[in-house]
Amino acid sequence: MNKTVNINLAGIFFHIDEDAYLKLSRYLEAIKRSFTDSQGRSEIIADIEARIAELFAERIQNEKQVVGIKLVDEVITIMGQPEDYLVDDEIFEDEPKQHNHQKSHTTRRLFRDTDNSYIGGVSAGLGHYFGLDALWVRLIWVILFFSAGTGVLLYILLWALIPEAKTTAEKLTMTGDPVNISNIEKKIKDSIGSVSDNIKNVDLKKHGDKLKEGFDHVSDTVSDSVKSVDFQKQGNKLKSSSQSFFETIGTIIMFFLKVIAKFIGVFLIIVGISALIALIVAFFTVGVTDAIHFPPMNFLDAANAANIPMWLMSTLLFFAFAIPFFFVFYLGLKILVNNLKSIGNVAKFTLLGLWIMAIIGIVITGVKQATEHAYDAEIISKNELNIKANDTLKIKMTGFDRFNSFVYSDHNDFKITEDDDGRNLVSSDIKLIVYSTTDSVAKITIVKEASGSNYNSAKERAENINYDYTFSNNELQLEAYHASDVKNKFSEQEVRVILYLPEGVVLYSDVNTSKYVNHYYNSYNSLLTNSNDGQYLKINKNEVECLDCEVEVIEEEEKAFNEVETEIIESITNTKSTNENEPEVRVQINDENGVQIEVNDN
Amino acid sequence: MKIENTKAQMRKGVLEYCILSILKDDDAYVAEILSTLKDAKMLVVEGTIYPLLTRLKNAGLLNYRWEESTSGPPRKYYGLTETGQLFLNELNSTWSDLQNAVNLVTNTKTPKK
Repeated sequence: MNKTVNINLAGIFFHIDEDAYLKLSRYLEAIKRSFTDSQGRSEIIADIEARIAELFAERIQNEKQVVGIKLVDEVITIMGQPEDYLVDDEIFEDEPKQHNHQKSHTTRRLFRDTDNSYIGGVSAGLGHYFGLDALWVRLIWVILFFSAGTGVLLYILLWALIPEAKTTAEKLTMTGDPVNISNIEKKIKDSIGSVSDNIKNVDLKKHGDKLKEGFDHVSDTVSDSVKSVDFQKQGNKLKSSSQSFFETIGTIIMFFLKVIAKFIGVFLIIVGISALIALIVAFFTVGVTDAIHFPPMNFLDAANAANIPMWLMSTLLFFAFAIPFFFVFYLGLKILVNNLKSIGNVAKFTLLGLWIMAIIGIVITGVKQATEHAYDAEIISKNELNIKANDTLKIKMTGFDRFNSFVYSDHNDFKITEDDDGRNLVSSDIKLIVYSTTDSVAKITIVKEASGSNYNSAKERAENINYDYTFSNNELQLEAYHASDVKNKFSEQEVRVILYLPEGVVLYSDVNTSKYVNHYYNSYNSLLTNSNDGQYLKINKNEVECLDCEVEVIEEEEKAFNEVETEIIESITNTKSTNENEPEVRVQINDENGVQIEVNDN
Repeated sequence: MKIENTKAQMRKGVLEYCILSILKDDDAYVAEILSTLKDAKMLVVEGTIYPLLTRLKNAGLLNYRWEESTSGPPRKYYGLTETGQLFLNELNSTWSDLQNAVNLVTNTKTPKK
């Protein structure tokens, strides 16, 4: 008597014996595993099933006939063993099997072997990987557990990190066997075999019990086998209970790890998405459409000496920043969603390429901006000032309030201001330099300097610097700022005011000039330094003579200091002299000998 | 090196050509193709043909239509596409060249013995 199963093969209904059914499904499974999806696996399997149904239908007389194991064997003989399905690509390979073998040897991979596990299958997996018996690995673990607690942590880590061998192919890679159909089929047969063995064992045990009850004296051998079965069963029980205990702990730990991982994932997603949104909003409002215009933007614009279009710069910047944030977002999503569909290598590499291009673009823009400052040009204008020897020239900075009307903000020395004439780039980068001359009349030279990508543009920009001074009643009024239109960009505009004064002229430089003298006088050998403004200076040949300075201040201070010192010395020696009788230590301090210590022990 | 492997490889090498030749005039369903091939001893087991047919179909050399059957599941009738026809013509000339070449080689060698 046989149990039958009803199956639907390619839409046709069959009664099939249970053992025949098992064989057929094993056969189809083995064939299924020999194809990959790219070969059109599902279609091939559907065709094969249809053909098998056809073959069955040809061999069955009426609907009530059952498909038996003989018929299945016959059909399998017609259809061929799983190996026979291997056609295609390896046709002309001489000995494909050996090839496979070598390949698989290099690709043995580390999995957890949960079939032979006591805790998480880590030891068994490591054993497979290193070709050791799992017993030795377990022994090492035990030693690690007792000698140092870190073993536990390491085990948990490996448990969490090493994937479990779930599919047959993974189990084969774990043991280093080549993944081919015969092995897959063998493995399936083995597992089915072990199941049926178990069933047999149980049966045997039942029989053994019966025998024990009935025929105690006959069944020595049988009860022996029953004992052995019991022992094995006990072992299995122990194994499974320890397995389930550690599995529970494992699930708890994994749960917490997963929660932490999810938090990290959520964090990454929030960071990624908010950065992306901010970048996109910024890109469309500021970069492309110029819908919002806020003050610092003017500096970007003014710094953009190479006149690279704003949309290009913002596109480059957008890609350079957005793509890394996108990957942060994607990583977070990947942590959160287990079986997230990959965005595909094409997309990944396109994004990477775009990012590299954006970076290159930014570098090129930077270089281009830098070359905008490659050339310097100067515009020099000279004028005579009606100042002769013994005249007094006063210098003053004016117009501090000229550009205070509307200042966007400061950037280094530059300000961008707006008035009725439009936007101006304003700077106080003015250097005041004084030289002596043997000419009879004083001269003033204004040097305007700017940079550009070539000499002409630098010169043009230098010419566009507005700077003025007024001279009346022996007073020279210098403007505190020079200005140029914003369209000239930041091009290191600076102004130098050079005065050539005849010897004998008295110069009075107002205190408010000190900022313009500061730092620079040394490199230009200017006679006017930042310590002698606000004083009347007589110009001599290459030097100045201060007319109203407090002379010798320093010397006097020094003298005073010396006096104090000698007083101290005297006071010390005095105290010593009062205690002459004491056979003590004598300390003497004076200028000639320094410190003298004498011990008088009488 | 097993003689069985070499034999199987030789057969498998020309199997695609044979399948295309069978379909040259008329469409056929798998069982018909199979019986022709088996009669000619080109095929020992049937399983070999399925991945081949799928591959030829995916390469655009074959197409198929479904037809109802009275005695079983619906049948897939395969036929040549235009590319399949061109492919077959190419293979025909290659095959005759190969045949001549093999004949020439095997015939000139035997007298030397």
